[in-house]
Amino acid sequence: MTRHLSMSINGEPHEFDAADHRTLIEVLRDDLALTGTKDACRQGVCGSCTVLVDGVAVRSCLMLAARCQGKSVTTVEGLAAGDRLSALQQAFVEAGAVQCGYCTSGMLIAATALLESNPSPTEVEVRAALVGNLCRCTGYAPIVRAVLAASRAGAGHPVAAVGS
Amino acid sequence: MSLPRFEYRAPGTLADALAVRREAGEDALVMAGGLTTVILMRERLARPRLVLSLSEIEALRRIEANGALSIGAMATHAEIVRSPAVAAVAPLIAEACGHVGSPAIRNMGTLGGNVCHADSASDPAPALLALDAEAVIAGPRGERRLPMTGFFQGTLTTALGGDELLAAIRIPRPAAGTASRFVKYTATTAEAFATVTVAMTVVKDAAGACRSARIGLGSVASTPIRATAAESLLAGRRLTREAIDEAARAAADATSPSSNNQGSAGYRREMTRVWVRRLLEDIAAR
Repeated sequence: MTRHLSMSINGEPHEFDAADHRTLIEVLRDDLALTGTKDACRQGVCGSCTVLVDGVAVRSCLMLAARCQGKSVTTVEGLAAGDRLSALQQAFVEAGAVQCGYCTSGMLIAATALLESNPSPTEVEVRAALVGNLCRCTGYAPIVRAVLAASRAGAGHPVAAVGS
Repeated sequence: MSLPRFEYRAPGTLADALAVRREAGEDALVMAGGLTTVILMRERLARPRLVLSLSEIEALRRIEANGALSIGAMATHAEIVRSPAVAAVAPLIAEACGHVGSPAIRNMGTLGGNVCHADSASDPAPALLALDAEAVIAGPRGERRLPMTGFFQGTLTTALGGDELLAAIRIPRPAAGTASRFVKYTATTAEAFATVTVAMTVVKDAAGACRSARIGLGSVASTPIRATAAESLLAGRRLTREAIDEAARAAADATSPSSNNQGSAGYRREMTRVWVRRLLEDIAAR
């Protein structure tokens, strides 16, 4: 069965038709060309598909699109303000927290959720918040450093709002 | 792989959900948080005609403490972890739910979905057993209550009828002075399934003797189990070294673990003994 869905994605209203069996990540990547969200394990384990739904971090590979009717979805494409990276994204660049990049969007979303609820986390809290996001390149240390640096620089808010 | 086709239904009330369940019968798969259910469909272990989602039933998300603690079946692990009502009545269940998966999984997964999947490796199930929790089950003839010991019937099997839905978990307020402990012991990382999970509550009398004990075990049998022989050995006794060792051995004897990548059967049985002993020693020392 196909149904008409409406939801906010990265602050923009979207309306589209989707079959009931389709997951949020399929709609984001295949229908809306928002390919920043990465598809990997499809079992909710690796974290690369993490997005925010109504501000809460969820796995888009396990979330039915139909369940997001009327909700607000944020993907990695929604973190920057135009060309200006968020403080967290900037910190990832500066800390060398990105290598192959496949885990990065999920890491950014999970860390954004952390900093929204806890703007000044300890290193232990950062590691606990990222336990469900696997990285096979960095060894995690630069990612943790980036999140802590972003916390000092003003959390997940756009650089424009922090710097000016 | 994408999911097989199905029709998605998300009624807004429990009564409507029961009607859909009755009418669809075996053709319906009930979805709570949508973790296990989505994976089962992706792996083609389930091919339902209809997915009955409970996600739009607000009443099933409620967590209340009026005397007993009632946790709606659709309350997420994250909501339970930060609930003041849970912290006030049964912090053991919050501690157990805090061990489920990772933050995003705790945001999606629900207590009801977890216990209805009836995985022996459930993190919260041993805590529910140690807290004398009951399943509050809604069906066509109204509501019934069933102790969690009777709810888990076998591998991935519950006592829930084909026309019933789990509405809530009810946890009686523990007696004053009840000590509780929880450990999820894993061979590898925190996100892994447990080698063994031990949850216990112990009521001590004024002299420090054990009035009653409840010990829930996970990952060491086909279902989450109570170590009832160990509990009986402790009732009415002081928590001496000898009593603790006897109870820990009895708890290990109650297990029937299988060997897998979380440990051999023998290792899991031995770790059951070790962790029951350690948690009892910790309670005895306070």
